Amino acid sequence: MSTTTRKIVIAGVMGAISIFLGASHLGFIPWLAGAALTIMHVPVIIGAVLEGPVVGLAIGLIFGAFSLLQAAIAPTGPADVWFTNPLVSIVPRLFIGPMAWLAYKALKTTNEALSLAISGVVGSLTNTILVLGVLGLYRFLPWALIGTIAVTNGLPEAVVAAIITLAVVAAWKRLESGRRSSTI
Amino acid sequence: MSRRTEFEFLGRVTIGQYLPTGSTLHRLDPRTKLLVCLLLIAVVVASQSLLGIMLLLGAVLVGLALAHIPLSFALSGLRTMLPYLLLLALLQTFAIPQYAANATVLWRWAMLTITDRSILAGILLIARFSVMVLGLSLFSFSTTTTELTHGIEHLLRPWQKLGLPAHELALTVNIALRFVPIIAEEAERLMKAQASRGADFGRGRNFIQRTRKLLPLLVPLFLVSLRRADNLIEAMEARCYLGGKGRTHLIHLQAHVADYIALAAACALMALVIGLSTANADQLLWRLLSTYL
Repeated sequence: MSTTTRKIVIAGVMGAISIFLGASHLGFIPWLAGAALTIMHVPVIIGAVLEGPVVGLAIGLIFGAFSLLQAAIAPTGPADVWFTNPLVSIVPRLFIGPMAWLAYKALKTTNEALSLAISGVVGSLTNTILVLGVLGLYRFLPWALIGTIAVTNGLPEAVVAAIITLAVVAAWKRLESGRRSSTI
Repeated sequence: MSRRTEFEFLGRVTIGQYLPTGSTLHRLDPRTKLLVCLLLIAVVVASQSLLGIMLLLGAVLVGLALAHIPLSFALSGLRTMLPYLLLLALLQTFAIPQYAANATVLWRWAMLTITDRSILAGILLIARFSVMVLGLSLFSFSTTTTELTHGIEHLLRPWQKLGLPAHELALTVNIALRFVPIIAEEAERLMKAQASRGADFGRGRNFIQRTRKLLPLLVPLFLVSLRRADNLIEAMEARCYLGGKGRTHLIHLQAHVADYIALAAACALMALVIGLSTANADQLLWRLLSTYL
């Protein structure tokens, strides 16, 4: 039973993990020369899968707002110049949670593990496609380069998100059911 | 200053810095500061006029002076980004075709063209970013996180009647901000524990290997945080937390004359900037200058 209190706290805690992953650079898995796969959107996916689309929206908002603040106050790379625009950093991130939740709900009945992995992929791809899409519409990058980035960076990021989402939610659900169920 | 090891996260996680200089700007109502900040972001994104953005830059510098923030400190963030900024501005100037029918081409070589529009786009990029960085830095220098959450809650309260869960949203942000140091501490502890057992983080041949090596850190981090969340939920419910309905507040924010003056000045400035943008003031100024020079 998901009460409002539960939703508020889970949204807050997942938002905090997202902020922490961004601020501490643990959220960047180094890959190739210089580029990194980010996992700051994974708490959004996990929160949406566990508690629903509204919670996913809230965590996405926190993630987006923090990436805006970080880009403006403590910028670390060239992409931070674009991320000071809320249309690039906040608006696309609002959709990660609801999309991941939709994917999870659609596949939950067939196979739980598969639905978790797919929701991780869907959430991550939503992030990649929407953010790159806005960058393209603003003409910050040429579309050809955007396509390359989407494939070379977006697909591995989706795989990473799937692995982490599956690992965390499966462990949590097993723990939850292990605590509450009884064979007596 | 002792050297920080790779394990110590707590020192690294700072959400902006608060500089207590006690100026009038610091003592303004957080709602005023929040509203001005949001207006600034909106106008910087929407304005197409370089003149307007320069006006905003001037206003932000005035704000920094009013708040007694040392200018070199405020500009240090921009300084580190300068090479990236120039690189991106060059990218915009050269490689992105600006689809403007009447743009005068200034230089052409193979696939690269420079039009007057594209140079303007490059300069606008630098100017917009500078205003954003300085403006948001000013906001974080002059507002504590507690003030921020109070301000957000008070601002969202009138929308509560229309159905927006203002209290719940404000509480979520509050919990998130409060939990970040807790999670940093937890991550530090987990990393040290795993490392002492010989775990090897982040070094693998491909990204899948590196991700799997990070799992012993990430999964416990999430699980511990979710368990803490469960504790918090139980604690809140045990104290009969029923949500925001009919809830009274300990802190009442009082708006003073200075707040209204600041807000009025900010609105006037933003209106001016938007006006300059819609009236295409850049072109008028250019025409004026070219007739005299």
